[in-house]
Amino acid sequence: MTSTRSGPGRLLVAVYGIFAVAATARSLVQLGFKADEAPLAYGLSAVAGLVYIAATLGLAEVGPAPRRLAWAAVVFEMAGVLVVGTLSVLDPALFPDETVWSTYGKGYGWFPLVLPFVGVWWLLRTRPRQA
Amino acid sequence: MIATLSTAVIVVALVFSAVVLVYVALARDPDWGLLAAAVLLEVGTLVLVVAAAVVLARGDHQLAAIDATTYFGYLATALCAPPLGFLWALSERSRAATAVLAAAGVTHAFLVLRTVQVWQG
Repeated sequence: MTSTRSGPGRLLVAVYGIFAVAATARSLVQLGFKADEAPLAYGLSAVAGLVYIAATLGLAEVGPAPRRLAWAAVVFEMAGVLVVGTLSVLDPALFPDETVWSTYGKGYGWFPLVLPFVGVWWLLRTRPRQA
Repeated sequence: MIATLSTAVIVVALVFSAVVLVYVALARDPDWGLLAAAVLLEVGTLVLVVAAAVVLARGDHQLAAIDATTYFGYLATALCAPPLGFLWALSERSRAATAVLAAAGVTHAFLVLRTVQVWQG
């Protein structure tokens, strides 16, 4: 099986889609109404939203280019949740308002922490066999 | 009124998700029964949207602009979840595809739960 959107991938794409909407919508409301309050946190929510959109599209399409997009998004996401999660624990003042990745995604049921690992596992499992 | 309606919608969404999980466990494909349950969920949510808009318009309850945007944004997103879930679930027949409907239902319930928190301020 080499399609990232079939079988369990169906559910994974759906969950990524939910997070794409959640993070993007949240950042739009935050940036639209109170951008000056916590620009780093809100900018970060916007970046996270774009990363989730990229992962959703990359996993939902079949082919080498979407697969590269999915890899880039999932690896960026993993680095993002680990770095931002660690920073938000060590120095909470950096992020005065919640982002998806604060405290490793605690506010989102830890999904943001688990998702990139599932994403990498799924991309490895469905990788095309090399000749 | 709004609280009761919101609770009812959340309960319907969670029951829907639970039924979907039974379908997944039995490897049953989504059927008209599930679709009818999703329609009930959507109608209930639409009633909630109208009721909240009326209560706000009559000045019986106040929400700041950002909270009103968030409130109706959550409800609009919740309304999108079941139809998108069905599109994505029905375009392939597999257990995981059916499970997408459970994810849509839980998302719907969670979003309406968030509207309750926003409403209370």
